[in-house]
Amino acid sequence: MDLFFWEIARASGLAAYAALCISILSGIAPRTQALSFLASNRAVRALHDWTPWIVIPAALVHIVALLLDATARIGVLDVFVPFLTSYGQLAIGLGTISVDLLIVVLVTTWLRRRFSNNAWQWWHRVSYLGFGTMFLHSMLSGTDLTSPVIAVLSWASAIGIAYYALERLGKALNPARIRA
Amino acid sequence: MKANSPTLPPIPARAGPGRPKKRSGPVPAWGLKLGGFLTTLGIFAGSFGYANAHLYVTNAPLQPATVATTGAMAATSASTATAVTSTASTTTTTLTSAVQTTTRPAVTVTKKS
Repeated sequence: MDLFFWEIARASGLAAYAALCISILSGIAPRTQALSFLASNRAVRALHDWTPWIVIPAALVHIVALLLDATARIGVLDVFVPFLTSYGQLAIGLGTISVDLLIVVLVTTWLRRRFSNNAWQWWHRVSYLGFGTMFLHSMLSGTDLTSPVIAVLSWASAIGIAYYALERLGKALNPARIRA
Repeated sequence: MKANSPTLPPIPARAGPGRPKKRSGPVPAWGLKLGGFLTTLGIFAGSFGYANAHLYVTNAPLQPATVATTGAMAATSASTATAVTSTASTTTTTLTSAVQTTTRPAVTVTKKS
């Protein structure tokens, strides 16, 4: 039974990574036209607003499976406080940080009306940091990342997101280009 | 009878003040959501199948401490094997020359005496 939780934890970890990739990409896409070949900005925005419904379950399953798995030896405190585990402090701690940042992004999004638009945008940009820590967590601790196919797909999606994030940053720093 | 209608001029390629208007793809919002859901679910199912087929990954970047302990215990109990712990918390068992290969057939069945 323990191996079942271990398999679930591995699979849901990769699913959570994929869901977060979809969420981040659909968040960047309206400004960068990354998905304009696929759908209108309105549809992409609707997808982005809906992505918590795939990110949260995948992340929750990953966490619960690791808590139930006796081999991983992850405690409830390790889910929220980083670098407390008896092994792989950095690798697992980065995952903990990404969970914390995910919670921050989700809570601030639900409380969006209480923030000014500028403040909310800054809180929402934390998601880039969350994705970065999740990527490093998957690279440093991901058991299945030893598979060349899974590694290539993971790296390709991360590089794609980094590319569009930089493109969006460039447009944000040079607003004259958007108006032109 | 069909009325004579004047030939309409071709639609200019450039619409608006500056550049041509980019046409977006035809997928509706529900299609994107369904695609996102199925992608995540497919990756979960595929990864579960992969994990099921590859339960023990010896070159995984992170090994739980129990594995390292087991490896160390095995090294202590068997004098012919030495455990070398690397910086990435992985345990590598190196067999010394005291362990030799045999020509005997492999034991595949155990019987109660």
